Amino acid sequence: MSINGHGGGVARPGFRMLTAGLLLSAAVWGLYSLESQIQVFGFGASGPDARSFPRLALWLLAAVVALRLVLSLRSEDVPLGNRVRLGRVLAVTASSAAALWVMPQVGFFFGAAGAGIVVALTLGERRPLLLVLPLIVAAVVTLGGRHGLNIPLP
Amino acid sequence: MLVDAFLELLNLWVLVAALVGIISGIIIGAIPGLGPTMAIALLIPVTFSMQPIPAIILLLGVYQGAIFGGSISAVLLNVPGTPSSAATAIDGFAMARRGEGGRALRFALYASVVGNIFSCLVLMALAEPLARFALDFGPAEMAMLMLFALLVIVLFGGGSKLDALIMVLVGACAGVVGLDPISGTPRFTFGSFAFENGFQLIPVLIGLFAMSEVLLQAFDREALVGDVKVPPLKSSVVRFVELWRMRMTLFLSSLIGTFVGILPGIGSTVPAFMSYSLARSRSADPDTFGRGAPEGVAAPEAANNAVTGGALVPTLALGIPGDAVTAVILGAFMLHGLAPGPFLFRDHGLEVYAIFEALLLSSIPTAILGLLFFRVAIHVTRIQPRHLLPAITILAIFGAFSVNNSLFDVWVMLGAGVLGCLLRRSNFPLPPLLIGLILGAPFEQSLRQALLTSGGGYGIFVGSPITIGLVALTVLSLAISLFFNLRKPRI
Repeated sequence: MSINGHGGGVARPGFRMLTAGLLLSAAVWGLYSLESQIQVFGFGASGPDARSFPRLALWLLAAVVALRLVLSLRSEDVPLGNRVRLGRVLAVTASSAAALWVMPQVGFFFGAAGAGIVVALTLGERRPLLLVLPLIVAAVVTLGGRHGLNIPLP
Repeated sequence: MLVDAFLELLNLWVLVAALVGIISGIIIGAIPGLGPTMAIALLIPVTFSMQPIPAIILLLGVYQGAIFGGSISAVLLNVPGTPSSAATAIDGFAMARRGEGGRALRFALYASVVGNIFSCLVLMALAEPLARFALDFGPAEMAMLMLFALLVIVLFGGGSKLDALIMVLVGACAGVVGLDPISGTPRFTFGSFAFENGFQLIPVLIGLFAMSEVLLQAFDREALVGDVKVPPLKSSVVRFVELWRMRMTLFLSSLIGTFVGILPGIGSTVPAFMSYSLARSRSADPDTFGRGAPEGVAAPEAANNAVTGGALVPTLALGIPGDAVTAVILGAFMLHGLAPGPFLFRDHGLEVYAIFEALLLSSIPTAILGLLFFRVAIHVTRIQPRHLLPAITILAIFGAFSVNNSLFDVWVMLGAGVLGCLLRRSNFPLPPLLIGLILGAPFEQSLRQALLTSGGGYGIFVGSPITIGLVALTVLSLAISLFFNLRKPRI
């Protein structure tokens, strides 16, 4: 399914326009903060400095994304989807972020298992046996990582 | 060298690594929605404590197995496990519907083996001479070579050129973060030490290919629910004479796969469809294509397996990845201290030739295990990705952490996952982003080193026969792309 702008009007914003808009904002912000984010100490050397390549790449990115946005206005776009679908993506992202946030306090096993269980629930898993599966995987990975691969997991 | 390399393979762990890799690959590839790129990215941390040869063989085994596994779900379910299996599904599924699924899978398997052997031989013949030639490259030559590679990805990678250019630039901009390669100045580090190393390749790969899959599946949950109906399989055999009859198809498909694979960024989907079209146009009975022609299965399978060896030629000899999978394999090589590029063969020739020979010889276990496991893999196709995605989330967190034992890398992985989900949902291609990220920093470094050498004069970029040749290739690529664009019929 797509949102069509071929009827002569401007297409309704969809995923492509949203992504292009975000990329354009990021490129413009990068250009705006270039001076403060990259200190250049000139010693009289000729040729490009530490800012030259990022400046060129960001300008090019901003220009081609702006062109994509203009072209997207009158072409098909991928619909954003309903709030429930976006909510599920946000739930998985938020639970993973929360798991990382608390991982130094609660440890890898509880953090990763928690994130896994939220993913299973978000994907519609309701059978208790399959909800236990993330706990088993997290336990195997924790033990294997710590004792098999000698990785100092939190 | 070849004998010494072979002796390196006479090790139990190498055999175990190859078998585990191939079996895991077949199983992972058979599950619709899970591809070899994600599988390899997730398995890289498992290889940390292994020696380089078994580690790389394990990952290449996963790749080979996953390509065949992808054809299982393509043939039996009409759901390609990998994008390159889409061409296989056209005739493979038609054969499966009339009860010839087993025969279609055997044709796919034997064609895969032919494609793999052909491309491995080309890899062994071309990679070292190319690397030896590249030893003469200075910064100006390297800069022009990388510019050419990036341009090829944009012009011939398939899909929208504008989207590919955007993705290459996003990758190049992401590669800027960290310390400046010449002066050591922090760039976009926000005053944080964690950012000074830049975005590490493996966490970004895991985020882009594994975590983004979890997020995408969460978005498309409705599509995951439903029973999988596999057509019945009759017992069948494929005689040698049947394969002999299609020898030219297998040869031409392997040739297309290998040489298209050498070009950066094109991947295996384009050669699979090119080979399918060629086989159809050469066929005495082209009407059977699309209705279950065995050659329609064999041609794309030979091509997409031949891409592996082809794509490894520029990856190993020049450090320029051929596609997303070889970009992941490049990351694995780097993690094991085998930095791809012109010096790889000089410094680690034994290991590299051992890996080449293993890739060639692994065709034997792939064929045997493929025959043994495809009936088992039919049951694997019934596993819904939603049963596996929680485990993939846990493995993604573990994999990203284990690269540097740092939670910062896990945050990078999560960020790359969200970005990857957004980009994939918006139909922006990920391989150009990945290759832009890998080549962006060395391109800038070579460019600036060349300009420092020349005192700021741009004449250095046309100052040697190699750079002139590369500039000519770049201009020729632009002209070819423009020519095909102008010839394309306007709607």
